[in-house]
Amino acid sequence: MNVEFSAWLFAVSLGASALGGTLGMASGIFIVPILITFGGIEIHEAVAASIVSVIACSCGSAAPFLRASLTNIRVAIVLEVATTLGALTGVVLAGVLPVPFLFLLFAVVLLLSAWQMMARRREPTNALENAGSTDWATALRLHSSYPDGILGRDVSYRVHRIPLGLVLMYGAGLISALLGIGSGVLKIPAMDTALRLPIKVSSATSNFMIGVTAAASGVAYFALGEINPSVAGPVALGSVVGALFGARFLMAVSSEKLRLGFVVVLVALAGQMLLSAFGIHWSGHAV
Amino acid sequence: MTSDLARHPELERLIAKVLDRGTWIASGIITSGLALELAGWPGMRIVIGGIAIFIFLPVLRVIMMLIIFVRERDYRFSVVAALVLMIIVFGAALGVHMAGSMSG
Repeated sequence: MNVEFSAWLFAVSLGASALGGTLGMASGIFIVPILITFGGIEIHEAVAASIVSVIACSCGSAAPFLRASLTNIRVAIVLEVATTLGALTGVVLAGVLPVPFLFLLFAVVLLLSAWQMMARRREPTNALENAGSTDWATALRLHSSYPDGILGRDVSYRVHRIPLGLVLMYGAGLISALLGIGSGVLKIPAMDTALRLPIKVSSATSNFMIGVTAAASGVAYFALGEINPSVAGPVALGSVVGALFGARFLMAVSSEKLRLGFVVVLVALAGQMLLSAFGIHWSGHAV
Repeated sequence: MTSDLARHPELERLIAKVLDRGTWIASGIITSGLALELAGWPGMRIVIGGIAIFIFLPVLRVIMMLIIFVRERDYRFSVVAALVLMIIVFGAALGVHMAGSMSG
């Protein structure tokens, strides 16, 4: 094991995770392309290492959301049936799909994320009265409330369209396992458009779910021997430390400038992934 | 009214505690393994142990939910939690199988 390379892995993951955390993005979407492009790490190994850091970040940041009663654990476990199934599909596909296709898919996901970041995310309208008594969410007792700090009282919400949510979450699990990311690209529309959860509840719940989703592919990659500890170890540590910092940064930096900066980085990484898809590579290693 | 809502305050606090402690333990183990390795001692197996703990933490969380749902006689959600656990176990089996077919 090379000291400088470990330090580089740790620093890059810390930075990606701290900055990603300030805008509520998982760090995997930055870490995987950086590991491949600048670390010279093979894509499957980068994905497996990133999956470990996705789990680590989910576990490390879950507690405050749970204590604040923002996480809806019933919604989480129901949707996890779909995300874990999707994750297993992703593991199988990762072994079959040609590498250039994975790069291409990564480029698409990066561009979609950039587009999502530009478009403002609006609080979904959460009609309390309309749902019939026969829908899934009522039968499964998923509706809940969360304490709103600004209003100083509990806000009730209903959960909508679980079947559509399950379909989208299957896709999110698949993309997560395939590319080693949290796949907010699919989760945000699922949570906002299908389930129509309040944003705070949605962020807390999807952060909670991604741990189990990534664990489903994580156990498979672990058994497959694709997790290289000398890469995954420093990356996981850096991500956890970065996530701790990210929460602090949140208030200090102008989120408008940060948002724009992120869009630039996402588009640049997408360009790089496109070049890789067509076989044009940077020759350089980081160290 | 509150009993109709999807809240499990005690379970939520318990899960928060387990995930929090687990993160510290796994991070500590990975750090010590890397430190050993950097000092020229064999520490990679320790790092692998820490990574395994990280992967197991969310699984442990599902097991905890399953136990609580069974205890609360919430059989529908017991089945849901058991299903998620089975899928994860299947994932491990899938990994072992794929590893076998690659080397064999």
